[in-house]
Amino acid sequence: MRTLLTLWRREVSAYFLSPIAYVVMVFFLILMGLSFWMLVTILAQGPSSAGVMRVLFGESLFFWLAILLVVPVSTMRLFAEEKKAGTIESLMTAPVEDAKVVLAKYFGALAFFIILWIPTTLYAGVLAYFSPHTAPVDWGSMTATYLGVGCIGACYLSIGLFTSAITRSQAVAAMISFSVLCGLFFAGFIPYYARIPWMQEVGRYISSVMHMMEFSRGVVDTRPLVFYLTLTLLMLFATVKVVESRKWRS
Amino acid sequence: MISVSHLTKRYRGTAVVDDVSFEVERGEVVGFLGPNGAGKTTTMRILAGYLAATGGQVRVAGYDVVTQSLEVRRRIGYLPETAPLYLEMRVDEYLRYRARIKRVPSRRLRQAVAGVKEQCGLHQMGRELIGRLSRGYRQRVGLADALVHDPDLLILDEPTLGLDPNQNRQVRELIRELANHHTILLCSHILPEVEMTCKRVLIIKQGRIVASDTPERLKETLGGGNRVRAHIKGPADDVERKLNALPHVQSVSMKRDETWNVCLIESLREVDLRPNVFELVVRNGWALRELTLANRSLEDVYLGLTLGDGVSGRGGR
Repeated sequence: MRTLLTLWRREVSAYFLSPIAYVVMVFFLILMGLSFWMLVTILAQGPSSAGVMRVLFGESLFFWLAILLVVPVSTMRLFAEEKKAGTIESLMTAPVEDAKVVLAKYFGALAFFIILWIPTTLYAGVLAYFSPHTAPVDWGSMTATYLGVGCIGACYLSIGLFTSAITRSQAVAAMISFSVLCGLFFAGFIPYYARIPWMQEVGRYISSVMHMMEFSRGVVDTRPLVFYLTLTLLMLFATVKVVESRKWRS
Repeated sequence: MISVSHLTKRYRGTAVVDDVSFEVERGEVVGFLGPNGAGKTTTMRILAGYLAATGGQVRVAGYDVVTQSLEVRRRIGYLPETAPLYLEMRVDEYLRYRARIKRVPSRRLRQAVAGVKEQCGLHQMGRELIGRLSRGYRQRVGLADALVHDPDLLILDEPTLGLDPNQNRQVRELIRELANHHTILLCSHILPEVEMTCKRVLIIKQGRIVASDTPERLKETLGGGNRVRAHIKGPADDVERKLNALPHVQSVSMKRDETWNVCLIESLREVDLRPNVFELVVRNGWALRELTLANRSLEDVYLGLTLGDGVSGRGGR
């Protein structure tokens, strides 16, 4: 446990010791700021039925753009950098289990992801403070929204982690995870367009867009929770196997 | 301390390490020599648990490197080639981090880090960013890292690679100092370094161990017998014929240096030919300018073993 904590601490601090964290944060906050600005413009047109969280997260192009770009960029270095620099060799010859290294890196990335989102909670506060209406923000739906963001983020990060483990190049890792995440994201539009019933059915299970709409309305469905959790576990397991494979791969 | 039996590692069907067996006793300092690509680094990586072998068994301190990898890794201090480090960390920060993941107890952490810093000449460098350090200092940080958990066995892969002669000497001295308390497997292709620090040398070529002995014995057995260089002035044919006729002489090669014959005389066994050569010169009334032993260096032995295609016989020529 102590080892895991030590490894995790180093992963989190590694983010803030490199310029990439700050670039990602600025970029992310600009996109989320645009999203917030859009929401304020809609609200300024008078009382509307628009759910605040839905506009801010579920339907916002900026929100998805941020997720799809931030995840690959923040996970690309996890293993690729260590492989390129050779530090993976000193890391893996220290008395630590491969699984612990993978978990530490994963939770390090997750911690960074969570830190990214913390400033956005201010948006709700700002709205609640300045809004003439009594309760523009529904705290229940806000909690559900952040839960959804956490779930989707956790899952996407595990995909990013996996792609970082399969290559030595950070750029390649980022490209692959970006493509995979885009594939997963756009597969989420299948239920809107597909005519075949079973495709609609399957599409609904994997559609991040639909899941996010639900979460932002304050609906916490267990199906997406189970989907993201299992996919995350699968990716983590696969990552451990990839890391172990260095031993016998030729 | 280390027991390797029939170790084999294949990459895409080619054996990089081919049926290698050797033992290293506790407290020994063993040099591991071989040309680039001979399988040195692969062997070290298998010992350190970074790679798995295709076949054979490796035990370190009685633990199997495959099934008891963590136990083995706890007892090994491994310095990989080029000492990879996290460049964005500070020296103290890095050593503390490494000590923690190597399970140094918290109460001994400060002491352990200060100890290895002192040992490796880093006491002034604690606050420095590793990325700003010179090659030599990075190498020392790598060494300090390998030592921080006080391992039984040190595995050093090319510890003086890329250092200037001064730094080179310092690292070599440090290794010699460490040899008092640790078992060391030192991988290198810098021969004087190995000759100065190691009590025993393993020479590996194309994945096979071709020699294993003390540097002195290697020179003796593999370098043939003695060689004597003599500068003699006299009729060349006569000199050559008579030298060849001396007892124990195996071969004589001659070169002309103006009026002098520069002769290189090799004897079969451990016999000093110099008195005989001198006597011969006196008897024939020739002149003598130089008469010295010209024994082979470890480098000659090494070159003899590792050049050429075939695997040289063990212990023979």
